[in-house]
Amino acid sequence: MPQRDVEISISKNGEVKVHIKGYKGKACVKFGAFMAEIVGKIKSQQFTNEYYEPDEKAAIRLEQKQGK
Amino acid sequence: MSAVLILTPLIVGGGWTAISAAAAGAAVALGLTVRSTAKEGLKAAEQEQAVAARNSVEVEVKNSEVLENVRTEQQIVLRGRDGVEVRVKRDARGRCVVCASGKGKTKAELRAFAERFTDRMTQCFVYNRVMTELKAKGFQVMSEERAQDETVNIRVRQWEG
Repeated sequence: MPQRDVEISISKNGEVKVHIKGYKGKACVKFGAFMAEIVGKIKSQQFTNEYYEPDEKAAIRLEQKQGK
Repeated sequence: MSAVLILTPLIVGGGWTAISAAAAGAAVALGLTVRSTAKEGLKAAEQEQAVAARNSVEVEVKNSEVLENVRTEQQIVLRGRDGVEVRVKRDARGRCVVCASGKGKTKAELRAFAERFTDRMTQCFVYNRVMTELKAKGFQVMSEERAQDETVNIRVRQWEG
């Protein structure tokens, strides 16, 4: 069962740094929007390599096709 | 890794209850005690007069907006051991303001304290909101610590079912 980890740093003036791990593609964007809704405005965002990987459901479908 | 976001806090939502909780958290951290939570106009007016006799400064909480149903006379009064009094209230525009006053304190000292209190109150507001929402979403807190620079570091985890 995949796990999703989030590291949150709340600075002394309330600015929040959120490091999202284990989310891919649209799920990552969706979770980022959720955090922004809780905290406030997005000041900056940086996507890492994992973000550009296909969604997990798409990856499973690909495996099934290869098995035939 | 997936993404890194930097978010600027907005002090909106939750109304006076959320503001009160954050102010109480900041008070504990900075060694203040709750003197009163004035709700009646007359009491508030009396306190205004008392403050006028001392040096005082007012600092607006950045990006704050208290709900409209919070009355202007509602406020939280906190007192420190050194005689500094902090009042948290909403102004006429609906924004949250922190007023620090105290005998024998310069305006610069009071402003510095008010800004420190405001920062800590904002941090508490954000912390309360983040923890409530993440727990409601099924996240488990794996670790939590306060760093030397007063940053709160939290690590949460969710198992995808």
